[in-house]
Amino acid sequence: MEVDSENNLFQRKQSLYQSLDESFGIQKEVYRGQQYSQIYFARLHLMRTLLYSLVPNWKSHLPVCTILGLEEGKECIIVGTLYKYMKLKPSILDEYSKERSASPLVQRHNFMHPDDNLVLEDESGRVKLSGCLLLPSKYVTGIIIALHGKETSAGDFLVDDILEAGLPQQIERPIQLGEDKYVVFISGLSVGRSSSNPLQFQLFVDHITGHLGDEKEQNIAAQIVQVVIAGNSVEVPHGLLNGQNLGSKDQSRLFEPIKELDILLTQIAASIPLDIMPGSSDPANFSLPQQPLHRCLFPGSSAYNTFRSCTNPHCFELDNIRFLGTSGQNIDDLGKYSEANNNVEFMERTLRWRHLAPTAPNTLGCYPFTDRDPFYVETCPHVYFVGNQDKYESSLIKGSEGQMVRLICIPRFAETGVAVVVESHGANRYALC
Amino acid sequence: MADIETLGIVDEIQTLVSDKLQVVSYKWLSRNFLVSSDSAKRLLQEFVEKHGNGLEVVYSLSGWLKDSPSTYHIKLVSSANLAEAKKEFSDNCSVQVYSVQACIPKDPVALWNAEFVQAEELFRQSLSVDNCLLDNRFCGVSNPFIKRNGGGTIPSTTAVPQVKTEALGLRKSNSTAQVQPEQKKVQLPSPSASVPSSHVVDPKSESRGSSGPGQGSKLVADKDKVAQLPAAKKAVQSDKSSKNGGALANMWGRVPTKPKADNVSAATSDATPNTFGNAAQICAMEGVEDRISDDDDQQVSIRRTSNGEGNRKRRVIFDFSDEEDEFKDAVNLASPDLPKQKSISGSKQTPSSPELQKQEDKNAKEAGSKSHEQERKPLPISEPKKSKLYSSEIISEHASIKNAALKDEVADAAPISPKRRKVLKTRVDERGREGLLEQS
Repeated sequence: MEVDSENNLFQRKQSLYQSLDESFGIQKEVYRGQQYSQIYFARLHLMRTLLYSLVPNWKSHLPVCTILGLEEGKECIIVGTLYKYMKLKPSILDEYSKERSASPLVQRHNFMHPDDNLVLEDESGRVKLSGCLLLPSKYVTGIIIALHGKETSAGDFLVDDILEAGLPQQIERPIQLGEDKYVVFISGLSVGRSSSNPLQFQLFVDHITGHLGDEKEQNIAAQIVQVVIAGNSVEVPHGLLNGQNLGSKDQSRLFEPIKELDILLTQIAASIPLDIMPGSSDPANFSLPQQPLHRCLFPGSSAYNTFRSCTNPHCFELDNIRFLGTSGQNIDDLGKYSEANNNVEFMERTLRWRHLAPTAPNTLGCYPFTDRDPFYVETCPHVYFVGNQDKYESSLIKGSEGQMVRLICIPRFAETGVAVVVESHGANRYALC
Repeated sequence: MADIETLGIVDEIQTLVSDKLQVVSYKWLSRNFLVSSDSAKRLLQEFVEKHGNGLEVVYSLSGWLKDSPSTYHIKLVSSANLAEAKKEFSDNCSVQVYSVQACIPKDPVALWNAEFVQAEELFRQSLSVDNCLLDNRFCGVSNPFIKRNGGGTIPSTTAVPQVKTEALGLRKSNSTAQVQPEQKKVQLPSPSASVPSSHVVDPKSESRGSSGPGQGSKLVADKDKVAQLPAAKKAVQSDKSSKNGGALANMWGRVPTKPKADNVSAATSDATPNTFGNAAQICAMEGVEDRISDDDDQQVSIRRTSNGEGNRKRRVIFDFSDEEDEFKDAVNLASPDLPKQKSISGSKQTPSSPELQKQEDKNAKEAGSKSHEQERKPLPISEPKKSKLYSSEIISEHASIKNAALKDEVADAAPISPKRRKVLKTRVDERGREGLLEQS
């Protein structure tokens, strides 16, 4: 009956997908009451080895010492974990202290203060850092860096130069075959929020699945090979969850947004491979790495072979192009404890520090790994995305060894109506509704 | 043939828009009349050209923006603002009719609502049933690599007709040829037999020893037969059994544990002979469990009740259009029974005319219980939007009654004010439902 339309159907392009999420999975880990020291140790150990290997190329004439081995006036290189002392960093103890601290306990978007200072520590000890080169506003707790300088008479370490780990090695970009393939990133759908507009999402779905528009538009849609939903897809009414047993009526209210999402995702999954990542508002675990949303939440869409529920830092390869990204918690947290001109700058820093979430576990929830640090960026992605940001931003950065990384901030769709479409090789555009 | 069809649809649109004040969007049209999205858009365009006077048209504009060339913009505009909106776009943007309605709704969500309710309806159908939502067959971009492990193989656009005819063939053989289906019929585990209250007159299902309430044993018996069947049919079958288990659970209402357990055993025993349908069956099973747990949480919202009614009626429309299809295929069942209940009509096998009446009765009953099942499902649309649209929706629902079999029941249901319905639900709940079941 619909033969007429079948003749001029576009064939959706395909690409080879490989998931690289294993390191973000929590499977064999056993919680035995361990604290976070081990993840810091693992991080220090891993990255110090790396930095040591870089030091000869950087300043080969200088000796490398531990913090305990520092001598006054002697120039050397020290490697350790940064700790940022922050006056305004909220502490649970402040709320109970007898004499109220001078600073008011107000909610701020940022805990920066001019008096913040940095401390470097390794297993042997810690030393206060001084010097105008190392700006406290730029760094956060948890980064491993190498510093060149000397100890002053006051016992501080005067920093002359800084070495960050830099962009990791990148797998070689495959030669472009002249075929355009696009990946769509969308985040912050917030299905179920009273202010969100489901028509917008429906239009988005119709566009990418090839319902909307004329042949030209469907041709564009046919080039989309992958959809990635970067977190915060649903917004369940949290007011309902107060520790009491839920009434039956409330249970269904709680579930309604998820079901609506499932119906819409079914429409996508019936047409395009779909990755869904959990975000801070999704029904997943709080601490990073967030584990995949359970398939039972999506009985309709999970029946498709195209539907993948992924971890929160999410890494995959499409035709040997590597994608890495999060739902935005890491960047949001950096925004609270450091400053940058824009969010892309935060993203660039995390790549140059070779660490996705340096503030975990200090101010960002994180599973207490014992033997590894999953947020260490071992291989440089070609596309690095972060979901749930205020606005769309994008930039292309280059590394010292010719790495090229496309950085993308994906805005919250429910607020902006913007999804980001990235060509696997760089050019990008965004779709508005 | 195409022209005739087109004419019919255009008339239909006319009534829907002007009399029933419904928003007719191209996707709704495409799903409702089983045409592709593109032809649905063409139809709407035609309709607007012919009868567009006095109606409001919403166009979808899409293209690259003039002032930021890396932005692809999709916009819905009413016909009044069309020319102005076009200026934002660079030269060659696409302009197509998105929807036709009597007036532009204040809340843009209203445009989406009819479509979503329809999608929900399709979504609710069991996993193994192919429908245009689940295989996305009406879009302009095909992806043959997509598989759904719900109903075995599926849904590339090209494969769809085949699947469909297969299903039809199955049904044909069941309903028309009497002698042949002896073993084929086995695959339909006669849902009526396991619903305890329905008085089955069918000698065959009785001969299978399923008259007793021991559902488990029956299923075991079924299993053996099932083992020989091809996978696709298997999936259908298992689904039917689980669905029917859901209905059963619904009927027993307050004691969901037992039927649930039965269900589990049903699904697993079905799954054993066949390895690859496994996941799907589990999914189906979970669906059933959902349904059962929904059963526990009776929602008493007015909105929902009204929606349940809506579903019932909408289903009717659907069947109507499906029926036309069957006419084409020359499979006349002589009774306007619901295509979605293939299993029932198939298993009941009552070709003689006196029995027909009974069958119709049963269909009605089944429909009753089915719509009940749907009533209970929560609507994932947030409340405020819904309530805003409420009145208009009701109107449109009233109008869409078409099927004779259900007519009186619907007519009964429709005039009941939501409030009264609410009381019935809160107070008599279990009883009330059972009463309704028996009535119909």
